[in-house]
Amino acid sequence: MKNRLKDLRTERNWTQADLAQRISVSRQTVNAIEKGKFDPSLPVAFRLARLFNLKIEEIFIDD
Amino acid sequence: MQAQDQTGDSHQDSTAGPARLALWTLAWVATFALATFGPNFLWDSQPVASWAAVAANLAVGIGWIVAHARFLRGIDELQRKIMQDALAVTLGVGYVVGFAYVAADQADLIAFDDAGISSALLAVVYVTAIAVGNLRYR
Repeated sequence: MKNRLKDLRTERNWTQADLAQRISVSRQTVNAIEKGKFDPSLPVAFRLARLFNLKIEEIFIDD
Repeated sequence: MQAQDQTGDSHQDSTAGPARLALWTLAWVATFALATFGPNFLWDSQPVASWAAVAANLAVGIGWIVAHARFLRGIDELQRKIMQDALAVTLGVGYVVGFAYVAADQADLIAFDDAGISSALLAVVYVTAIAVGNLRYR
């Protein structure tokens, strides 16, 4: 699944580790989500949406 | 949300989970060794002692399974997926190789009889599958 996570993160000058800490996952998980290799669980998707003040479908794009 | 709370707790408790699992693993290996070698080297094949050792191994084994399940629930979700994929591969290899071994054994094609090899094989498959999973999601 494609997503805008990298753009949203770099707009805020956050590292992957910064974002990982904010949503309580590992840096490896953030990297895998950004590369589209791994789709996060619904709780993590909600945490991302809350963090960026966006809807989930504004972050993740269904292929 | 419950899942979120669990994840948060797990990160605060990131070293306790693996340490607890390692202790249960060591305890299971120790009780297995006791049940395997005890009858010949420690208590001269007394049935009561042998049954007690087997029961202890089973009881610790159940604790090990519970510890493993808790460990999986507590880790990061990508690591959990990697571990679960590795467990699925290991289970599949165990079934396929295990039944092939049984078939070959029934056909008198197996010259040796060492069940320990299968345990070692499964351990190697599990560790390899975890390494492959980590490479895939690197």
